Amino acid sequence: MRRYAYAIPYWLWIGLFVVAPIILIIYYSFFDIEGHFSLVNYQTFFTPVYLRMTVNSFWYAFLITACSLLIAYPTAYLLTKTKHKQLWLLLIILPTWVNLLLKAYAFLGLFGTYGAVNALFETIGIGTKQLLFTDFSFVFVSVYIFIPFMILPIFNALEKLNPSLIDASRDLGASEWTTFRRVIFPLTLDGVKAGCQAVFIPSLSLFMLTRLIAGNRVITLGTAVEQHFLVTQNWGMGATIAVFLMIAMAGIMALTGNRKWGVRQ
Amino acid sequence: MDDRVIIRFDHVTKQYDDDLPVLDDVSFEMERGKFYTLLGPSGCGKTTILRLIAGFIEPTKGDIYFHGKRMNNVPANKRQVNTVFQDYALFPHLNVFENVAFGLRIKKVPKVDIERKVKEALRFVNLEGYEQRAIHEMSGGQRQRVAIARAIVNEPDVLLLDEPLSALDLKLRTEMQYELRELQRRLGITFIFVTHDQEEALAMSDEIFVLNKGKIEQRGTPKDIYDEPVNRFVADFIGESNIITGTMIDDFVVEFANQRFTCIDRGFAKNEQVDIVIRPEDLELTTVERGKLRVRVDSVLFRGVHYELCCYDAYGNEWLVHSTKKAEIGEEIGLHFEPEAIHVMKRNGGE
Repeated sequence: MRRYAYAIPYWLWIGLFVVAPIILIIYYSFFDIEGHFSLVNYQTFFTPVYLRMTVNSFWYAFLITACSLLIAYPTAYLLTKTKHKQLWLLLIILPTWVNLLLKAYAFLGLFGTYGAVNALFETIGIGTKQLLFTDFSFVFVSVYIFIPFMILPIFNALEKLNPSLIDASRDLGASEWTTFRRVIFPLTLDGVKAGCQAVFIPSLSLFMLTRLIAGNRVITLGTAVEQHFLVTQNWGMGATIAVFLMIAMAGIMALTGNRKWGVRQ
Repeated sequence: MDDRVIIRFDHVTKQYDDDLPVLDDVSFEMERGKFYTLLGPSGCGKTTILRLIAGFIEPTKGDIYFHGKRMNNVPANKRQVNTVFQDYALFPHLNVFENVAFGLRIKKVPKVDIERKVKEALRFVNLEGYEQRAIHEMSGGQRQRVAIARAIVNEPDVLLLDEPLSALDLKLRTEMQYELRELQRRLGITFIFVTHDQEEALAMSDEIFVLNKGKIEQRGTPKDIYDEPVNRFVADFIGESNIITGTMIDDFVVEFANQRFTCIDRGFAKNEQVDIVIRPEDLELTTVERGKLRVRVDSVLFRGVHYELCCYDAYGNEWLVHSTKKAEIGEEIGLHFEPEAIHVMKRNGGE
């Protein structure tokens, strides 16, 4: 049974780094702050404070995903039309190699009261604005960080699209817009879904940006998990929130990725 | 102007950047209800003509007229022309019915009419009952038919076919040749068929345009083109043939292989250098004494319908012979042919 022997590293990896942590999180979620076994954390989660936080998280994740999609789709589309598309694509991917924290700090400098953006506003006569610690800057920076993950799958889907399908649609009388609506978009939907997954799921549990860019004005489930583990030391509650986050993610995966588990083509 | 003319190209040139033109100052007219074939090797510009007619590209120079109206800047979706693509270009996310209905839905045809027309079009291509199939469940030949149905359901004036049979196997291809020809007769619309397969062109067309390097070398009926090729390129491309150099001694007298022969061509200058074409099937195997030419058999291939003999005469000219009679390798034989079998062509150019 050598075939199974080759699979051992895989199963070890899955066991150690995927299954075990999940079991641990579920295990911790059943202990209150004093270390007694109880369901109190689950009760707490369904109080208005946490429910509002959940709604907040979903709302911001939705905003970030929607903005990314709106910018990423046209960008990816234009990218497929350019001459040196691989170069442009590389330039878009490049920022993902830079540490998230560094990028966040860069924006602190740019958006600060004496930052470059405000200096520009001053010169063109708009005047200094409070940019940091607003919902806007939070969504803006998040979109900036996540957008490559949205562009890439859409770009790939557009690249795979047979160009004669577009000719065929035009040939049959469809205008450019109709061609997009009835042929291009439906055929790149898988790329859009993959992109939405890659943006929505991580933005659901964003935490560092909420503090650095949004100045704790935006409190999401991710922030709550971080605070419970590092500040209040209430591991049980943090784990409980993590359990709900995982359930939400699984739900999204099932919703957007139905192709992978559905009927094979 | 003759109102039978449906498409007119007036000195059309298509050039990309500073490359050599793909289509070089081409002018022609096409009539309503005929089956045209654009024939030529890859890169000769035949697909470019098709794409210009469809409206996917615009000419660099010159004008294109439909029904006498200039169409240069009219986009593809506003032209009364439909295309059957080489790779069929069927929409993979739609089933057979929706693929065929695509054009009608865009034109906002009432639902009842769509239902009726799509059914009719599918019956036309013998695909009744396949409405709900997904495209990936269809075979190559069936996809081909869906593509044809999708085009003809829009009742175009002109149907463009871009090498639609090249992806099919030989048997299916021959079958589809008959069907396409039959379909064209029944619909009565103009078909413009692009191919690099000369047999396909000869079998199906009312008229053939032979293209080479962005220019039309010759246009005419299949018989014209086959029997009276204007130059070496056409003669070579349209079928296997013996092309040798010769001299036109006088009207009706030509010299090649160091002998003089009577022929039926005239109008050349005295002692003009010419190319001579004799089709392999026009050469008849006979004894050395009775033959007009004396050759030695170099190789024999059995081709099913006939033997293909490759022979050489004393001057090193190669003679390809199609014969139902067999000859031995190394044997000296005679070749007989009629004066009509000799086709005389000007060197590098038209007749």
